[in-house]
Amino acid sequence: MTIAVKRVPIKARKRLQTLMHDYFLNLDAAATDSNRNVAWCTSVGPCEILTAFGYEVYFPENHGAMLGARKISHECIPAAVAIGYSAESCSYMTSDIGSALSGVSPLTEAFGISGPPKPDLLCYNTNQCREVQDWWNFFGRRHNAPVMGIGPPTHLDLVTEAHTDFVRNELSQLITRIESQTGTKMDWAKLEEAVDKSSKASSLWRKVLDTAQSHPSPITFFDGLIHMAPVILMRGSQHAIDYYTLLLAEMNERTNAKEAAVTNERFRIYWDGMPVWPKVREMSEKFFDLGLCVAASTYCNSWAFEEYTGGDPLAWMAKTSTKIFINRDETFKQKFLLDMCKQFDIDGMIFHNARTCPNNTNSRFGMAQRLRDESGLPVLVFDGDLSDVRFFSTAQTMTNIETFVEQLEGRCR
Amino acid sequence: MRENLFIGIDVGSSATKCVILDNTGTWLGHHVVSSGVNYADAIDTVVSHALLQAEGSKKDIAYCVSTGYGRKHVTFSDRFVTEITAHARGAREWNPSVRNIIDIGGQDTKYIRIDDNGQLIDYRMNAKCAAGTGTFLESIAVKLGMTLSELDELALKSTAPTLVNSYCTVFAGTEVIERIKEGQSPEDIAMGLFHSIASRVKEMIPCSVETVGVTGGVVEHCRALVIALEEALSGAIIEAPMPQHAGAYGAALLALESNPIFESKVDHA
Repeated sequence: MTIAVKRVPIKARKRLQTLMHDYFLNLDAAATDSNRNVAWCTSVGPCEILTAFGYEVYFPENHGAMLGARKISHECIPAAVAIGYSAESCSYMTSDIGSALSGVSPLTEAFGISGPPKPDLLCYNTNQCREVQDWWNFFGRRHNAPVMGIGPPTHLDLVTEAHTDFVRNELSQLITRIESQTGTKMDWAKLEEAVDKSSKASSLWRKVLDTAQSHPSPITFFDGLIHMAPVILMRGSQHAIDYYTLLLAEMNERTNAKEAAVTNERFRIYWDGMPVWPKVREMSEKFFDLGLCVAASTYCNSWAFEEYTGGDPLAWMAKTSTKIFINRDETFKQKFLLDMCKQFDIDGMIFHNARTCPNNTNSRFGMAQRLRDESGLPVLVFDGDLSDVRFFSTAQTMTNIETFVEQLEGRCR
Repeated sequence: MRENLFIGIDVGSSATKCVILDNTGTWLGHHVVSSGVNYADAIDTVVSHALLQAEGSKKDIAYCVSTGYGRKHVTFSDRFVTEITAHARGAREWNPSVRNIIDIGGQDTKYIRIDDNGQLIDYRMNAKCAAGTGTFLESIAVKLGMTLSELDELALKSTAPTLVNSYCTVFAGTEVIERIKEGQSPEDIAMGLFHSIASRVKEMIPCSVETVGVTGGVVEHCRALVIALEEALSGAIIEAPMPQHAGAYGAALLALESNPIFESKVDHA
């Protein structure tokens, strides 16, 4: 008789559900209150500036991820394609635009609200990709709201003072533009406070992720995909700090008790690239059954910024905007990944070639093969997408993953 | 009456194959049928026929390993392995010197690299698109109103293969119609299709290779493909003696190597 092995749920998730519910209800209320304003912002900022202006901040990429995770994206994408947005461009963008055109949103079922809050301002940062600019522009036109943003220098190996000075200047100009647009002066004390809180939340999030260095790991990439929400959506608030303090304590408890996220952890995996949102549950279960623990990932680590030590909040924002992994060149990324594999005692690497997200895919210029040669670790590259399941074959991907396990087993013999 | 039969079943997207070995690794029976839409029927048919050849019955099965996309449908399997591991094992048994293997099946094409001990070092599967697979050829053969064997026979008469550019099965089909309209010979167009597959296969091999073992149903049924692969790859092609059965053979060998008499907990009957 086989005994089904159950995973031990993370207790903090209950608190997360409440936080998420409150966050979206607050946004919904703000959107209908003439005395309050809502700004849309890219996930990597510059949300602290918007907070300092008193905006309630909403993140469309989170909506894109929810459309995928709740398996709605494939119904929405055709509407965006029909008005000229390529099916081969970012499926967060096409599904989000399609969602607006179709009047469908996962926020209705999840939180009982009609959909994303109407924006008074849309603010982007192209340090992750250029698509966000065009995505924001669609909604700017639709809601007759101003769109503005910054464009840091991209694909950098070394980040120099010249780079961060340039971005700091862009941020400064952005503040001036918002002030001129709204006739309101930014509260610099509030900016410093938001940056300080962002940094603290981010730092705690990194500590949470670092608990995965333990054997067995108390957390996996698939858990991280759920618990990363506050570091994006509530960055700059006390809520995020409190949440990660709670989560970190639980992870430390699990580490001390040797409570594994993947019972019978056999192999430790590094995941590079985006999740396949519509298949997260299926893949999580597959990995669990195979004893594969994704102990580290590029994606969850994207919001683990360096600490703010006071002084110049804009300089900190400029640095975080420029230094993040996605904004770097392959030389930097390769060194980073290699280092992560050592730190987390990784047995093999999996690269997701997300067909509509070239910027968050790192297997297109030979890096997976170079890393395999340099580290000696087995590497798997599979085709898929972050949200558009038409680019994903379940049978082929699962065979790929099972073969990867057979390869890992072969190395142990 | 036989005892201690070791059985490998490869439930592929197009065909289901079965190989039965005795405890010395000698072939006692094998069979292949179209997988159709009912895997259970296909599995039952291949196993029954192969057992008949082996002069055994299900209760004589000491250990069973199943592979292929439908491997989990083999309800009496002791162990499931992926077709990559199974094909590598089968190809290596036939030719111990082989280190690089190409398997061209109905649904996908795989590149497999093994080390001197037969351990998997690297592998790749074609992208989701059907180009480069048996389905690609079958689809275009249907469009041209012929069978895959007829397409193969036609291609073997080619003197100057046509270049088929498209990666997409649908667009390649359109391209074929365009070439026919231009007056190019059907033989050259047919061979162009096999070269198109060989060119996709070449993209999957990351290093220069001296020899490549080839397996899979398409290799077994299409001589033109073997010729196209020989031209496309710099290395010599080592064709498995029964390419379509390589996966099932590999699975049967893995069954034999599992020391099954003591391990099997499955009632095969």
